[in-house]
Amino acid sequence: MTILKLALNNIKRRKTRSLLTLFGIAFSIAVFFSILSINKGFERELDRQLKKTGIHFMIVPSGCPYEVATLVLHGSILPQLLNADVLEKVRTTERLELVSPALVTQLPNPRAGRVDTIYGIDMADAFKIKPEWQIDGRLPADKFEILAGSAVANAYKLKPGDEITYTIENRRFKVAGILKETTTQDDAFVYMHIQTLQEIINKPQAVTAIFARAKDPAMLEDIIGDIYIKVTSVQIITMGEIIGSIMTIVSSAKSLGISIAVIVIFISAIGIINLMLTTVFEQTKEIGMIRAIGASRSDIFSMVINEAIVLSAIGGAAGIFLSVIFSPLIEKIVRNITPYVPGGRIVTFGYELAVLCFFFSIIIGAVSGLFPAWKASRLSPVEAIGG
Amino acid sequence: MLPVIALEGVEKIYRRGSEEIHALKDVNITFQEGEFISIVGQSGSGKTTLLNIMGCLDRPTRGTVKIDGIEVSTMNEKEISRIRREKIGFIFQQFYLIPGLTAAENVALPLKFSRKPIDKKYILSLLDTVGLDMRAKHTPDQLSGGEMQRVAIARAIANHPHVILADEPTGTLDTKNSMIIFELLKSLNSRGLTIILVTHNVAFAEKTGRVISISDGQMNSTRLDSKHITGSI
Ligand SMILES: Nc1ncnc2c1ncn2[C@@H]1O[C@H](COP(=O)(O)OP(=O)(O)O)[C@@H](O)[C@H]1O
Ligand SMILES: [Mg+2]
Repeated sequence: MTILKLALNNIKRRKTRSLLTLFGIAFSIAVFFSILSINKGFERELDRQLKKTGIHFMIVPSGCPYEVATLVLHGSILPQLLNADVLEKVRTTERLELVSPALVTQLPNPRAGRVDTIYGIDMADAFKIKPEWQIDGRLPADKFEILAGSAVANAYKLKPGDEITYTIENRRFKVAGILKETTTQDDAFVYMHIQTLQEIINKPQAVTAIFARAKDPAMLEDIIGDIYIKVTSVQIITMGEIIGSIMTIVSSAKSLGISIAVIVIFISAIGIINLMLTTVFEQTKEIGMIRAIGASRSDIFSMVINEAIVLSAIGGAAGIFLSVIFSPLIEKIVRNITPYVPGGRIVTFGYELAVLCFFFSIIIGAVSGLFPAWKASRLSPVEAIGG
Repeated sequence: MLPVIALEGVEKIYRRGSEEIHALKDVNITFQEGEFISIVGQSGSGKTTLLNIMGCLDRPTRGTVKIDGIEVSTMNEKEISRIRREKIGFIFQQFYLIPGLTAAENVALPLKFSRKPIDKKYILSLLDTVGLDMRAKHTPDQLSGGEMQRVAIARAIANHPHVILADEPTGTLDTKNSMIIFELLKSLNSRGLTIILVTHNVAFAEKTGRVISISDGQMNSTRLDSKHITGSI
């Protein structure tokens, strides 16, 4: 018979109350574990995704708020356009291996009763900007051809060769290809030749942003300096800055999440304290008997502490297990409430993090058990037995 | 030879608010090894208090308590725990077995607190002593009152104590089971174990080697006096 057996026996004796307390611990550890997992996965995925975009920086109109600028990637419509001369000046800048303009706008789609976000790009640069794209069909070649993101294609049940109509001038477009699912925002857009889009909206030189890639990433600062000298009223945002600004948003969300988790953990710790105090109170006579048959104060102390630890360890393990089981659900919730979420799995099981959380739950048990254990060890055996 | 237990000038005063209760008044007594003593007296006369002090569960307000010649009144909690563990076996009216643990596990508890290895054969031999070796795997809820008390006796002797203190061990049992318990105590005594039994049962008291009667916290006589024995079964 081990200490573990004694503790488990005691826990079993108060099934309902132990289960309730266990549930509290499991829930709080699950919240804690999930938040930490999300944060790790988020950073990693964001980093991975932005690295694979194939661009080093982008140029947007100045005065464009930072957060909005980052959302160009997200498909937001910027209120301003770049000045007509900017593109040419950037193109003549040295040490750049890619300069590619993009125009983002929205067009009503009468048949579907929806508004589509249209990305006008230079199709020749498509794979330079998005090296990981895979296309079912081909890139648009003809002027009135489009490439549909997978989400758009799903929504309209499009396949290569289908036609799609946009209200402005009642243009009919042929679907040249469908983008295979990227699990990024790219899935939600329709892509066409930038010249076609400029024509449709009647702004021949319109450019929302310019994507650029340096020949040598180490020279990035110099290049950006050069561009700032050449062109005015633009803002240059590097991918590093985009990652940084998104991480700022994420880290404040993370602090909020952790505060919630800490409160939940605190409440569950109070649950353990309450349960253990009730136990000590109810088992006073038994504790007296155990003292009578030779247990010392420290024996009683460790018995109560052990029970609290076993309880919280079971709860912690259950919580980690639950959050792994429910990670797809948690991922869905996070995607719905967070402004920018990279593709890929952001809630992932980290072995180290799991071990850390498990030990954390043990510590919660030990700390919560301190006061009840001290109370129990102070009981005088005579009064405990009650004469 | 040193007495197993010796009390000298022992007084016990309980304080309840401003009220003082003199539970024991100047008790002087010694118990020799191998004795079977019964303690009788009306309810509230101080029997349990006396037993608790002899068993080092409680400290006297005044006086000295010696177990095997060792003065315990001045010991700290840890040392006293050790004395209880090594020298004394308790049996209570309420059995106090731990629910959920088997008879064998309950019997093994004192060994656990002594950090002694738990030998299954030895535990079974203890259960055999009380005639319950067949019930080793049964939990208290599967045992009758008499059986639970027998398990408690096996638990009390597990650590080879020098003295067994039994506080009305048959108080809640029927005649037949009371007899079994008493006979068990007698047979343990015949093996040389010192037994101090608090009882209301005159018939049992008469069969012990010495009867101590207590009234109002004072020891009146060491001979059997049926006036002080009440509530006998
Ligand atoms: N913990 C206690 N606090 C106050 N009074 C007590 C306590 N324990 C016992 N007493 C009192 O001491 C007296 C003796 O009690 P006890 O030794 O239990 O008697 P008995 O076991 O003979 O019935 C009684 O008056 C009882 O009320
Ligand atoms: Mg009593």
